[in-house]
Amino acid sequence: MLKQTTAVTLLNLRSIPQRWGMSLATVLSIALVVGVLLGFMAMASGFRATLDGAGSDDVAIMLRGGAMAEMNSTVSREEVRLLEVAPGIAAGPQGEPLLSSELYVVADGIKRTTQTPANLALRGVGEHGPGLRGQFSLVQGRMFEPGTGELVVGESVLREFEGFELGETVRLGQNNWTVVGVFSTGGSVFDSEIWADLGVIQNLYQRGSTVQTVRARLTSPDAIGALREYVENEPRLNLEVLSERAYFARSAGGTVTLIEWVGWPLAIVMAIGALAGAWNAMYASVDARTRELATLRAIGFGGFPAFIAAMVEAIVLAAFGGLIGAVATWLLFDGVSASTLGSGFTQIVFAFAVTPDSVMQGVILAVIVGFLGGFVPAIRAARIPLLAVHAD
Amino acid sequence: MNDATLIRKNLFRKRLRAVLLMVSILIAFLIFGVLGALQNAFSVGMTSAAQERLVTVNRINFTVALPYAYWGRILQVEGVRDAGPASWFGGYYQEPQNFVQSFAVDPESYLAVYPNEILLPADQRAAFLEQRTCAVIGRALATQYGWSVGERIPLMSNIWQKQDGSQAWELDICGIFDDRDGTYPTNYLMLHYDYFNESLAFGRDSFHWITITTNDASQNDRISQEIDALFANSPAETSTTTEAAFNEAFMEQFGNISLILTWVIGAAFATILMIVGTTMVMAVNERTREIAVLKTLGFTAPRIFRMVLWEALLLSFLGGLIGLGLAALASAAAASALAGFLPSFGLSWMNIVTAMLLMAALGIVTGLLPAWNAMRVRISEALGKI
Repeated sequence: MLKQTTAVTLLNLRSIPQRWGMSLATVLSIALVVGVLLGFMAMASGFRATLDGAGSDDVAIMLRGGAMAEMNSTVSREEVRLLEVAPGIAAGPQGEPLLSSELYVVADGIKRTTQTPANLALRGVGEHGPGLRGQFSLVQGRMFEPGTGELVVGESVLREFEGFELGETVRLGQNNWTVVGVFSTGGSVFDSEIWADLGVIQNLYQRGSTVQTVRARLTSPDAIGALREYVENEPRLNLEVLSERAYFARSAGGTVTLIEWVGWPLAIVMAIGALAGAWNAMYASVDARTRELATLRAIGFGGFPAFIAAMVEAIVLAAFGGLIGAVATWLLFDGVSASTLGSGFTQIVFAFAVTPDSVMQGVILAVIVGFLGGFVPAIRAARIPLLAVHAD
Repeated sequence: MNDATLIRKNLFRKRLRAVLLMVSILIAFLIFGVLGALQNAFSVGMTSAAQERLVTVNRINFTVALPYAYWGRILQVEGVRDAGPASWFGGYYQEPQNFVQSFAVDPESYLAVYPNEILLPADQRAAFLEQRTCAVIGRALATQYGWSVGERIPLMSNIWQKQDGSQAWELDICGIFDDRDGTYPTNYLMLHYDYFNESLAFGRDSFHWITITTNDASQNDRISQEIDALFANSPAETSTTTEAAFNEAFMEQFGNISLILTWVIGAAFATILMIVGTTMVMAVNERTREIAVLKTLGFTAPRIFRMVLWEALLLSFLGGLIGLGLAALASAAAASALAGFLPSFGLSWMNIVTAMLLMAALGIVTGLLPAWNAMRVRISEALGKI
């Protein structure tokens, strides 16, 4: 039985080139389905990776209760003072709390790809701001001098937007700034931002002494409990305390879900179309070999090997299509840089990421299409009557 | 038996095959229709009125406020008919997740700049103008939260704070507005600017944008330049563009959605083109001898060419029309579910015409090669091989 099955299967696979037109159409249509699915998944996982990379468990972020996003939040100078003596916050070399009050405003940049204006985040940070981002490093130039009109830009800003090269003078709103450095935080969301001195931003944008958020380095990820308790028991504080990871997970959720909710149904609907194509191709393949299959029956082969052989053909074609789709998507889209509007009304630059996990899902989808598309024709192959030997 | 019958019989000679091909064509047009509807939702606000209305925002960015006094100065610019200021309220209902798109507006002037869009019953309109705690909501928003006229709701703001530290404004729903022409979004709430402004803890006497109508649209360029010149070199410079350009710039920030949709539709059509194309070639090859018989009976080559081409067109239109019909049903169903989030989700006449053209193109492209093959069948060769 096994021998028979192997023999018929090999016969089948070797004869694929004789039916290359239909086989190629099946392979390519499945490749396109998998390509579309993986394209959307690469977008979703790239976006998620950018925000996940930004969030750390041992950094707490505090914003006004109900504000949801940094943009909407305000924290007063008095509140910052109360936070400076809060428990659970790690101390710097001079014993000062590792705390960064931050304020960001929206500025316009010109996207390189479309030449259209898009919102960029201009963030005012204090001395501990960079230290609170895990992988902060300057890749070009130097840090800005406090109290001056100097700024440093993230790598992604430099890549996606015009006019932020080192040494350039940039006009944002009413003011001229000089780019003195380019920084990287390892591809996280902060790479899409422009940083300047907090005091200068407060002054130029008439924010007085208020800030939007306070970030703090925790002594350990568990210390957030103590900090939260302190904030809740202090009547002068109306703040929400979140770990940075939780904050970014919350803001990534919506966009990622939206992309996945578009990508999957679309891939499934397209897969039904490809399924019809595969079914058709397999029917044609079985039809073309009616005499051959009947001959095999006549010389003593069973129906089951014919069934298996047709199924294997369908699944091999589909899996091949799936792989082509995956490889093509990987070559075309992996690492491609794109940007979209994030929850803070500002652009987030991210890179498409084709993950092994999504490639697996794509190939599985392809195999399912092959299986379903091959099933009915394979049954037909198994049931070809002996007399079909005489078919023309 | 006329040609039409012959074409139909030929198409359905292998019923399963015809049905499978129709399914894959149907899917492609379903995708085309639904994504087209989605694209329309993203390009909303590009109506002709939006081309004529102007919007003034802060030049830094529309999230940065402008002084309230600008309103009066803009009204004095020659050619400006009405101008309605508005502030972004950042509203939510009960939980921060329940986002309510809401603007604090000057009721009379804001309604005046949307005379042909906002449809509000006269008594509700009068109530809105008169009572400061009044708010009016769009039909889609009313459906989303199940709100009705006469209800009192506390609307929280995720931006603003009152002097007493609270963030909730008590609002009476005095009216529900509909859109008059079927393209205006009704997924937002309007409250009284004065009621909102008087209790603010910070950011008083400012607004985020001002919508302007003019007496003569051809003067719009001059008017925008004049407005921006009024505030040049002041702490809050302005940028005035048409409402359509403003909306478009905002939508573009999400990324090139049109491009992504075009790619997906392209992939779907490439798929069916290959499937249908190869199958049609094969189906006609199978019939070589039959075609030779037809020729022997006196069917001319052009007639056979036409018949095969018509067969491909029939297949394309059968699958395509069903797919488009399903797309219309699906987008009608999705439109009500998405009303609060993506208004104006639906198929346009433009989509339908494009789809028809695509059906014709698909039929011709997939039918041409087999029709050519069929036309060139040689009786002696075809009937010679037994």
